[in-house]
Amino acid sequence: MKDVFRQRRMWRPRGELKRRYDVVIVGGGSHGLATAYYLAKNHGITDVAVLERSYIGSGAAGRNTTIIRSNYRTPEGVAFYGRSVELYERLAAELDFNLLFSQHGHLTLAHSDRALITMTERAEVNQLLGVDSRVVDRDGVAGLCPELNLSREVTWPIEGALYHRRGGIIRHDAVVWGLARGADRRGVEIHPGTEVTGIESSNGRVTGVRTTRGDIACDTVVSATAGWSTLVADLAGVPLPITTHILQAFVTEPLKPFLDVIIVSSQMHVYISQTDRGEILIGAEIEPYTTYLGTGTFGFLEDSARHTLELFPQLEHAAVLRQWTGLCDLSPDYSPILGVTEVGGFLVSCGWGTYGFKAAPIVGTTLAELVATGRTPELIAPFTLERFSTDSLVSELAAAAVSH
Amino acid sequence: MRLPPRPQERIDRSRELTFFFEGEPRHGFPGDTVGSALFASGRRVFSRSFKYHRPRGLLCCSGQCPNCLMQVDGVPNVRVCTMPLREGARVRGQNVLGSLDRDVMSVVDKIGGPFTPVGFYYRTMIRPRRAWPLYERFLRNVAGLGKIDRGAGRTRRFDTEHRRVEVLVIGGGRAGIEAARAAAARGEQVVLVDEGLGPGERAAGGSFEVIAPARALGIYEGGLVPVDAGQVLIRFRARRIVVATGAIEQPLVFPGNDLVGVMLPGAVRRLTDEWSLRPGSRAVVIGADERALSVVAELRSAGTEIARVVDLRAESPRRIAAEGKKGRLASVLVDGEGLDCDLLVMSGGRQPAYSLLAQAGARIEYDAGRGVFVPIELPASVEAVGAVAGELPSGATPAATYEGGGKARGKCFVCVCEDVTTKDVRRAIAEGFDSIELAKRYTTVTMGPCQGRLCQLPSVRLYARENGTDEAAIGRTTARPPWAPVSLGLLAGRGHEPARRTSIHERHVQLGARMMWTGAWRRVHSYGDPAGEVRAVHEAVGAIDVSTLGKILVSGPDAAAFLERLYPNRFGDLRPGRIRYSVLGTDAGRIMDDGTIARLDDDRFYVTTTSTGADVVSEWLEWWNAVWGMGVEVVNLTGALAAVNVAGPRARELLGRLTDLDVSNESFSYLDAKQAHVAGVPCLLLRIGFVGELGYELHCSSPYGEYLWSTLLERGADLGLRPFGLEAQRVLRLEKQHILVGQDTDSESNALEAGMPWVVKFDKDEFVGKWALEHVRERGLRERLVGFEMTGWTVPPEGGQIVVDGRPAGRVTSARWSGELRRAIGLAWVPAALAEEDAELAIRVDGRLEQARVRLRPFLDPDGERLRS
Ligand SMILES: Cc1cc2nc3c(=O)[nH]c(=O)nc-3n(C[C@H](O)[C@H](O)[C@H](O)COP(=O)(O)OP(=O)(O)OC[C@H]3O[C@@H](n4cnc5c(N)ncnc54)[C@H](O)[C@@H]3O)c2cc1C
Ligand code: FES
Repeated sequence: MKDVFRQRRMWRPRGELKRRYDVVIVGGGSHGLATAYYLAKNHGITDVAVLERSYIGSGAAGRNTTIIRSNYRTPEGVAFYGRSVELYERLAAELDFNLLFSQHGHLTLAHSDRALITMTERAEVNQLLGVDSRVVDRDGVAGLCPELNLSREVTWPIEGALYHRRGGIIRHDAVVWGLARGADRRGVEIHPGTEVTGIESSNGRVTGVRTTRGDIACDTVVSATAGWSTLVADLAGVPLPITTHILQAFVTEPLKPFLDVIIVSSQMHVYISQTDRGEILIGAEIEPYTTYLGTGTFGFLEDSARHTLELFPQLEHAAVLRQWTGLCDLSPDYSPILGVTEVGGFLVSCGWGTYGFKAAPIVGTTLAELVATGRTPELIAPFTLERFSTDSLVSELAAAAVSH
Repeated sequence: MRLPPRPQERIDRSRELTFFFEGEPRHGFPGDTVGSALFASGRRVFSRSFKYHRPRGLLCCSGQCPNCLMQVDGVPNVRVCTMPLREGARVRGQNVLGSLDRDVMSVVDKIGGPFTPVGFYYRTMIRPRRAWPLYERFLRNVAGLGKIDRGAGRTRRFDTEHRRVEVLVIGGGRAGIEAARAAAARGEQVVLVDEGLGPGERAAGGSFEVIAPARALGIYEGGLVPVDAGQVLIRFRARRIVVATGAIEQPLVFPGNDLVGVMLPGAVRRLTDEWSLRPGSRAVVIGADERALSVVAELRSAGTEIARVVDLRAESPRRIAAEGKKGRLASVLVDGEGLDCDLLVMSGGRQPAYSLLAQAGARIEYDAGRGVFVPIELPASVEAVGAVAGELPSGATPAATYEGGGKARGKCFVCVCEDVTTKDVRRAIAEGFDSIELAKRYTTVTMGPCQGRLCQLPSVRLYARENGTDEAAIGRTTARPPWAPVSLGLLAGRGHEPARRTSIHERHVQLGARMMWTGAWRRVHSYGDPAGEVRAVHEAVGAIDVSTLGKILVSGPDAAAFLERLYPNRFGDLRPGRIRYSVLGTDAGRIMDDGTIARLDDDRFYVTTTSTGADVVSEWLEWWNAVWGMGVEVVNLTGALAAVNVAGPRARELLGRLTDLDVSNESFSYLDAKQAHVAGVPCLLLRIGFVGELGYELHCSSPYGEYLWSTLLERGADLGLRPFGLEAQRVLRLEKQHILVGQDTDSESNALEAGMPWVVKFDKDEFVGKWALEHVRERGLRERLVGFEMTGWTVPPEGGQIVVDGRPAGRVTSARWSGELRRAIGLAWVPAALAEEDAELAIRVDGRLEQARVRLRPFLDPDGERLRS
């Protein structure tokens, strides 16, 4: 208990940049920090700098709706995200930082029998790979979330759902800070306010980076820059099949507990949860156009409100408190791009679209292993950049379009 | 208790309204708000604070602060100080265990201070993991303010209105009214909106429209200004937007600054002027500008005794503290001088209410001279006038905090919404949350119901001081829209999801059909006996409403070339009056949709799509038409046309009864398209066979659909005709291994692996997705869509897995019992190695593995003899 009262610094104040590091990580979001943390923890590699243009968690890490789940569709995806959820379950204890992981289950609603087929497919794949996931019928849905409007007299009656007991939400900032603290305590340097403006290479190998605070030499650069991935990869001369879009979300004023499970309706492009602060957190599908502009739209609020009330008419008087947007780096098959590129020593974690937060721990462990050993871990082998030239896509569209 | 009538009062004393507070009747007058009426009834505690459950009373009395949030008529989080009083209103306190006056949870304040330092929850209850769910339950229960009535449905009707104006003025204070008058005088069409009740009178005589109370929610994309006008959401588009949102009075930061009886000057002014109420009997006034200090006169006129006035422009006290009894203000200490009072009016100056401007794209900068943030560099067509533009009377910049000194150890709040104290902020900085954005997230300052209106500036000041720098260096956090909380009900408006019905819908209902949902369409699942319906199609004749099929007319001199370039199949050589099937591919060669295309004449093609694909395909066609700039016109006729498919061995006989057309197999053969009258209705007849039997699709103008349908049913009755639904159709097409795009294919499927190499004409020069299909051909097929039949009787689930070595290796996309074949059949994606006739598949059903065998050819009529008969 005493640690609660003891005032202890989370991390060292930002210091001067050294002229050389073994590893430079670009991006102080969840993936960059997780990679740094696991490099230090699992492999003892601590001559690492995390360079962040703004403050840590300023990107999607601090804006996402934090759904953590592993009920994906492809065997590759299920195995990968499944391992990530396991890591998340242990992460608070490991970091000695409460991440407020609220695991009350995740329901993806099926509003048609076609949708039920997709759910069945996911449940079957999940079960074969040991992930707790099953299809429930209307009564099952009623039992898990009696507040839902289960009337047949609506536009999209609920026919059933995919139920994932271990799905949940977490406090995003806590994940960022916990990882940053863990990395810092092991000697990793974190440099907020430091933008990477160039990546140097010679003979097809990385030799260093240029930043707004000076140049750094290094052999390995890991880009974990999510929405900015294509811009940073461009600096290294690596083209990525990624487009950047915005995703929006909003919260209502805090309310007493109303909803424990997470409700997702792909049909209506909306998902709803209630945070531990009491706010109802509502998100939608990704905006179809590409942009880096972070201004939210009013149309998003209107559509999401309409869809939310179809599911929860009781929320008519709940008031929207604030809305925000974040950047998403979307890949063609809704699966990430991880690991090596054609430039030696330049590694990426990108293509996260709307679903990358749940993968932070597994990205961190696998990328750290790749950096340390030079070998691509089996778990991420299906997600290499190369798959786009060998036509080996891993389609998660059916499982990742709206359910982040 | 009211003061004698006053000149500016808003209440109508001739009439009394009765409402209920915690079930007890209370009284007020028209013109009162719920808040003013409660205050008049003697109530001083209006809410309990978020974390410590400290009693809170009216602070701003203008709908900004969190202190008067109550539950009114079941609606949570209502700011009662601005909520007009209605007869019979039911008002309750919220976020209390017990009552507003005795809230059990206030123990948190007594003992919890040291137990609940900022961010405490990040550092507790980490181990054992098993305890966390219990603790979390507790956390969830104490969080949150108002309560949602779980059983409630939608009650009110909200509307949306769209308006275009020349000038929209937001804010009806002096500057706003002046701007509106000036614009109106120039002959411009002006609307002014204001969130208060007063501007109507102030605007009297002006030749412009006033909408109040109404709140501008933001300046959104393309200059859209949505305005919350109660039951109506008005979406304004204005050529010019004038922002006159004024400035927000800022609290001072000192111990006890949240006690009941501590108010901002505006609250005092409104209570006395508008509702003729005496805010307190003995007051101390501490203010940084003229406007704040001018309340002294108002207080005197209301009979409040003034204990002391501290003009921060003239004196700089080092210590200020308020002390209370049971949460109510009892005395104020100013540099050691104790002053008994029940009212403390405080003001740290006014901060321009710039949020709308910031959202519109203005830059916001700290103005050290005035000690506030001001907007600069406004975007085009947005103006700022009055206080929001920084036109403020000069005042003193107050200290970041005032120490209490001596015994005064009360909590010193920076953010009343979130119960964040100066101690919390210091702690956050010491822990390393040294940028304002990080600190905001850690302490949650500015994240409460007022969204920082009352704490942004004070917290920046505190930050600057603690970090030994100035406000400009600290900067501000981004204010997020909407500018004021807005209910989901109002945002949703009346809009409901569209549901589409075919023109024959009512007939199906009369026939007792069971309906189902396919996309937005309502379609017939069956008429009660799908197996019988299948039999009728095999043995006699059936009719199905297929009006939901997408129907697109592609015409123009380049129509043939256009389709040739778009579809993998060939259309250039299609003769007029003939039909050809094709899938439609994406740039990456993936199957996007499928359907038949009939050439009506040289320049016109009738393209059908799947029911769910109509919109996407017509957009796709239009997009490519625009890209290629070809001489083609694309018209989506889906809603305009109805269609009925008549299929079965006796379909020809039935058709022959209803048309003059020669329907013999010789002159109207398989894949012919003809135009003729059927039952007197002009129709396009397509001889195609999705369900595998001799069949005709009759397309006609939508209004005739119902008549055509009824006539077919009537005239076919003696032939054994039965209407059939989607369920029967699914069985029938499965017997033929005809695919359903979207069910048997997904976003990665291509025509080669889906078993339709014959629709891909590689010898064409170019078509969308050709390179990708060439690549697939080169790399070889990896998985294939094949038919299968079960060895046993079980029908596997659609979505079920093909298992190889215990791992998922393929999937069942369709499966049904075929009465005709007396077997369970289906389609499945399997690894290419298994795509051989008779290959054995293991399919997971309820956790067990069931055997099936691959069938590469249609189960029924593999050579299509019935279709051609
Ligand atoms: C509204 C929203 C909701 C979402 N919901 C979910 C969800 O429910 N579940 C889920 O799993 N995922 C969700 N996501 C996706 C998820 O947030 C992201 O995929 C994930 O956070 C990306 O990884 P990251 O945390 O490392 O990225 P980020 O936090 O974006 O980190 C990238 C960092 O790189 C920095 N950077 C960029 N360029 C440079 C440069 N040149 N030099 C230095 N630094 C640079 C940026 O400032 C940024 O901090 C959501 C995303 C959004 C926007
Ligand atoms: S005072 Fe309202 S958010 Fe801080």
